[in-house]
Amino acid sequence: MKDQLARLGARLDAIGERLAQKDLRIPVDLVTGVLFALFAAVILRVMPDQVTVSEKDVVNGRAFPTMLMAVMLLGCVMLIGKELYKLAKKQPLAWKTINLLVEVKALVILAILGGTYFLSRLTGLFVVGGVFCCLGFLAYFRCKKPSYYAITIALAVGIWAAFRFVLNVNF
Amino acid sequence: MLEHILPASGLLFTLENILWINIGVFIGSVFAAIPGLSVILCVILFLPVTYSMTAIPGMMFLLGIYCAGGYGGSVSAILINTPGTPHAAATMLDGHPLSEQGRTKAALKIALYASTFGGIFSALMLLFLGPQVAKIAAQLGTAEYFMVCVFGLTIIAGVSGKSMIKGVISACLGLLISCVGADPMTSYDRFTFGIPRLYLGLDLAICLIGLFALVEILAKAEKKPGSLNMDAEKIRDDGVITREEYKRMLRPTIISSLIGVMVGIIPGTGASEASWFSYNTAKNMSRHKEEFGHGSVEGIAAAESANNAVTGATLIPLLTLGIPGDGTVAIMLSALMINGLNPGLSLFTTQGDIMYAIMLGLILVNLFMLLQGKFLTTLFAKVVSIPQEILTPIIVIFCFAGAYSVNKNYFDVGVALIFGILAWILRKLELPPVPILLGLVLGGMTETNFRRALLISNGSPRIFFSSVYCVIFLVLILVAVGTIVRGKVLERKAAAGKED
Amino acid sequence: MKKRVLCLGLVLALFTAALAGCGGTKNVSWKVTCPWAPSGVAAMVSQQAATKSTSYSDSITLVAEAIKGDAATVNTWIADTKANDPELVFVGEGLLSITSILDPAKLQFGYEDFVFVENLYSSIFVLSADAGLGINSIDDLEAYARSAGEISVATNGAVGSEAFLAASLFGAMGAGDKLKLTPYESAAEAAQAVARGETQFAVSHQSQILETYQQGGVTVVCAFDEKAVENGPFAGVEGVGSKGYPYFRNRCFVMARAGTDDKSVAELKELYGKILADQEVADWLHDTMLLEVDTMTVADVEAHIDNVKNIVNQYKDIVTG
Repeated sequence: MKDQLARLGARLDAIGERLAQKDLRIPVDLVTGVLFALFAAVILRVMPDQVTVSEKDVVNGRAFPTMLMAVMLLGCVMLIGKELYKLAKKQPLAWKTINLLVEVKALVILAILGGTYFLSRLTGLFVVGGVFCCLGFLAYFRCKKPSYYAITIALAVGIWAAFRFVLNVNF
Repeated sequence: MLEHILPASGLLFTLENILWINIGVFIGSVFAAIPGLSVILCVILFLPVTYSMTAIPGMMFLLGIYCAGGYGGSVSAILINTPGTPHAAATMLDGHPLSEQGRTKAALKIALYASTFGGIFSALMLLFLGPQVAKIAAQLGTAEYFMVCVFGLTIIAGVSGKSMIKGVISACLGLLISCVGADPMTSYDRFTFGIPRLYLGLDLAICLIGLFALVEILAKAEKKPGSLNMDAEKIRDDGVITREEYKRMLRPTIISSLIGVMVGIIPGTGASEASWFSYNTAKNMSRHKEEFGHGSVEGIAAAESANNAVTGATLIPLLTLGIPGDGTVAIMLSALMINGLNPGLSLFTTQGDIMYAIMLGLILVNLFMLLQGKFLTTLFAKVVSIPQEILTPIIVIFCFAGAYSVNKNYFDVGVALIFGILAWILRKLELPPVPILLGLVLGGMTETNFRRALLISNGSPRIFFSSVYCVIFLVLILVAVGTIVRGKVLERKAAAGKED
Repeated sequence: MKKRVLCLGLVLALFTAALAGCGGTKNVSWKVTCPWAPSGVAAMVSQQAATKSTSYSDSITLVAEAIKGDAATVNTWIADTKANDPELVFVGEGLLSITSILDPAKLQFGYEDFVFVENLYSSIFVLSADAGLGINSIDDLEAYARSAGEISVATNGAVGSEAFLAASLFGAMGAGDKLKLTPYESAAEAAQAVARGETQFAVSHQSQILETYQQGGVTVVCAFDEKAVENGPFAGVEGVGSKGYPYFRNRCFVMARAGTDDKSVAELKELYGKILADQEVADWLHDTMLLEVDTMTVADVEAHIDNVKNIVNQYKDIVTG
């Protein structure tokens, strides 16, 4: 068992090393501008379906979100314009480096969070999700100390019990 | 008033009351210090405990939770860069950087002292000027509320980080998210995309869990295995605050306490608005602006004194007019009514002793908060030395339990998770999350008051200049905008000077 | 070390199982879900009833819980419960008579999904006016409605009971087209709005306008009931019913899941009856909350729902535009 874990660890390390070397560079301000301009456009497009208004309204329910999206669009145009100006003037753009290993690790954490949520929801017992969460994170951190496992699981059960039986949160 | 003080003291200084104050303060401090568990949730969960009590111990218990919750939120903001409650978000901006400089205990102590000062300041205002202040507050109407909101939105400039444009985009996103749910003016659904539960809107506390707590969990991915736990050397701070630092804290603490009281008396606003207003004011008035965002003692003191100064101030409209200033105080109102007390000025004549006992009790609550806080600070500071392997899943469990408990529904846990993912994407795009929070805090109030004011005036914008209070707020807005523009001009000049 | 961890794990598992399985069988705890804010009137009344339940029954304990969310909370309650589950829920005319007409898609339930247990209280809404207008009676109000160019009324929420009461009163007076409803976030805010002069009138529960009235900011014009208010600080205030205008009281029914056996429902009704007959509870409802104890039969409930539905159908155009 110990050997198997060690081998798994070594394999993960090797994958990690490979991923750590892979970077993705994005022109962050340009991407932000384009993404949020699209977002604002979509919101403006779905507004008539999503916000019912009445003729009686002095200021209807679409006015405020429309104004917000207009400001957002303006911000995006300024952001994109600034970057295009830099491009034209051959000045360096704002770049952001995204490391693949970090993103994969974030996805693993997200999977643990998602697993915790779905297990709690499906079983109707929060404690099940809680224990999964503890095991998931301890495995993520590659924790080899049994005492840590015992402490975190005990705490998870304790928190659930406190909410369930002291605070009457039925989950 | 004096004729009530003596009998009120007799009613207040009993072993039972002191015990309940301390239990309340302890629960409030710990609860609010845990990310995901807000003060209002704590008050809701512990409210049934008060039903078997008489009015004074019941109120003392709830006030203990309320006041200590104001301080407790700062603990996790300082320790783990995650505000325990929405109003501690401003504290996080300087509290955590100071903690990272190895001054965790000092940061916690600054927060505690400032909170106590703010709390006692507002308790004294309640005691001596309650009815007078309430009369002024009652004159503030829809148009004035809107002007307060606009003034609040000028803070975006101060919390946008490197790019103000990105700050504005973030704020628009936050304001848009606040529109989700039933339109407060018509009850028609907005942006619910066929999801029935969304018509309730998105709870601020749940969004906060995703935006600040869960994203910090995801950010563990950015850390190398060896750098997960804090350097033991950094943790060994003695918590000393220098005389110079005390001097620097004094002015922002006093001004912020005043701001906290002014914001607190306006129903619908609360500690979040007060802490942001004060943080921004302290930053604008400071001679050490450059320290803000990097562990400024003034920043922590301003945010914390303001959010605790709200506690006494929200009780002013409650006890004098029967108007609860925020959700937590509304629950306290029910605790009073269950005991047969219907708050209002008339109660000061019929049940004056009880009313004054409650007001005096607020001072006592703050004093016990200071005493307990001094002990708890040492204990809380130890959190940073808990191994991440244990701390991380426990924070997640608390966050999920807190999100569930708000409406006793897993839907909200899912919402928190989605906000965590959103915050992660925004982090990658270098969009600041604080303006989103500001948008969420101010969005509903801004829109509702804007539309209601125009409904009242039949569409005439003159309503926004119709009272002396509106004009005062307008001047404040212009000053704030002027300060922002001047700051940007100076920044540009400084940058141009460097290039030359 | 391994053994210790194993032992600890076992103890924890046993502890968890014991906790999960605990709870007696002799005394049945009925959870009463209130789908509104814990600071609301219904939640407070439910809590009072729960506190008293142990004094009047050895076999039933009421446990009050407030989960704000209105229709969403009741939808969840319906989805999670079945007949004979020890679960009760509060449902009022807001859901059964107003939302069911204006926004039926919001409700995943109907009246037939419940079995009525008891109605605990009823609240008479009152119309208050800016003191500067000098309106003190329905006659004054009728005269004002005839001459005014616009009538603005502050209400708690946009399409709640208060909005429909205002619409029905002014609509029946022939002034529906002049009516401007201004929604506020809470009844207390609405009461303050009229005192400040932002609106001319406000509709609210009696307890919510009391302080503003005592401070002289407003006059209380009429009550939305058949006859004049009999007791309390607003005794003598005319009922709109006496002049033939439509009205309804605010009521919140305690319901069990449809199919729950009659014996359980009868026992619960009997327990609520005893609690409401308790002098302390009656005095508290009456003196502090300015409410009335109002036990009802199924026929009364159905009549109330139908009455409100009729008013909503007749005046919904005024409210929703």
